[in-house]
Amino acid sequence: MFKVRNLKFKYPNSKDYTIDGIDFEIQDGEIFGFLGPSAAGKSTTQKILIKLLKDFEGEIEYYGKPLLSYRDEFYQDIGVSFEMPISFSKLTAMENLEFFKKLYKQTVDVEPLLKRMGLWDDRDKKAGEFSKGMKIRLNFIRAMLNKPKMLFLDEPTNGLDPGNARIMKDMILEFKKQGGTVFITSHIMSDIDELCDRVAFIADGKLREVDTPRNLKIKYGKRTVKVEYKEEGNLIVREFSMDEIKTPAFFELLRDKDIETLHSGETTLEEIFIKVTGVTLRG
Amino acid sequence: MDRLLPLVKGEFDRLNKYNLFTANFVVLLLWVGMVSFFEGAELKMFVPVIFLMDSTMMTILLVGATLFYEKQEHTMNSIMVSPVTEDEYLLSKVIVSVLNSLITVVFISAALYFIKGVTYNYLLLIPAIIVVTVVHSMIGIRLSYHAKSFSSLLVNFMVYIFVFLLPTVFATIGIIDEKIAKYLIVLPPDVSNILISALALDVEPWKLVFGYTYLTVLSFILYRFMIKPKFNEYVMRETGV
Repeated sequence: MFKVRNLKFKYPNSKDYTIDGIDFEIQDGEIFGFLGPSAAGKSTTQKILIKLLKDFEGEIEYYGKPLLSYRDEFYQDIGVSFEMPISFSKLTAMENLEFFKKLYKQTVDVEPLLKRMGLWDDRDKKAGEFSKGMKIRLNFIRAMLNKPKMLFLDEPTNGLDPGNARIMKDMILEFKKQGGTVFITSHIMSDIDELCDRVAFIADGKLREVDTPRNLKIKYGKRTVKVEYKEEGNLIVREFSMDEIKTPAFFELLRDKDIETLHSGETTLEEIFIKVTGVTLRG
Repeated sequence: MDRLLPLVKGEFDRLNKYNLFTANFVVLLLWVGMVSFFEGAELKMFVPVIFLMDSTMMTILLVGATLFYEKQEHTMNSIMVSPVTEDEYLLSKVIVSVLNSLITVVFISAALYFIKGVTYNYLLLIPAIIVVTVVHSMIGIRLSYHAKSFSSLLVNFMVYIFVFLLPTVFATIGIIDEKIAKYLIVLPPDVSNILISALALDVEPWKLVFGYTYLTVLSFILYRFMIKPKFNEYVMRETGV
């Protein structure tokens, strides 16, 4: 769907490249995640892919043609949800959606979306009176209005309570099941881990790794099993490598000791990100 | 251009919801109130001033205000990732400004007719209002590009008035020599004044021909070289750069 080659971008009045020569592809029907800390270049990459920033270097192809050669048909295909709340504050939620609906050839019935996102009862309330979380949910519905083939989601669950974040993640997964493609940027590791088929680690404008979360865990994970057990009243913690768990010593421990917990020592994406990039995801 | 109609309609809805129509209407009522103090030749001279102020200054302020709200609420981002083109977006602003000015013409004309029984040559007035409003809506858009807030938009507006309107005022009261004053016709407010004053005064035909041609060409130049090429930069700044 998207092919990006040696993409570079520098903001006016900036000496350094915000995006510094990155390559990646997004396949039809996959959820592709960009994981990185603030100011790593995630949102800038998204703005380039949705043609808001056009003065880039390198090549971007969308279905085999240069991205910039597309006109309005590209925007008929995509839905975008920005990180910040975007709505006409003096218009109601419904009026906001009705305005944007008129700009597309193909649209969906917003009622099921509003109901699913818990905004149906507030549809006639002015968007300016919404909480941040409600505005973010309205952003997401706005992105789904035109029945897009592809969604661009910038930090989609940022500012949402766990319940609504769950609903949004379920909707993203359903969108994928129905054949949709998603480009998602986030600094929230658990979202990326749960949603993405493939993930790219970005730091300082460079891509450090692109792979499936599973492959990254296998490649960079510790692959250990941690056992906690009681011995003479004391809590003992022992760690076994995957090779060691095949030995009699491991089985004897399980048989003879009062085991309290048994965990695989799977490394989180966040730990892998820090290992690969040397920077943390926070902030 | 399929999206032009919903854009124009949406813009009108927002002018209403954001109370900008109300503000405009209050100004119109003030004008009508002032009209009642004039009679005869004075009235004839005063009415073109209303149309001039509305199609120049009010146009700049209304366009500036709508762009300011869209900037503040980041809604421009959302419009720019829809199938709407830059041309459609900018053109919708200009069309709404023109329609607003024409609504003013209808309102003031109706008020004049019912209060004073006065009518004008509307075939002369309407083309002048359209061409003057088109230029000033573009000037309003251009001034908004440089405004970081509504206050700075007002400062830009005052600078525009100072630079482009004061010379005409000085010429009228004789501070600027007549020989120099004749060149002031190249200033947008001055040439706008000439076209709209034709409603009440005898204006030399060459000035009318020059005025219409000049403002039409100026609109094209403003759009082609000062509005559209800088629009992308404006959107970029708006997206948080």
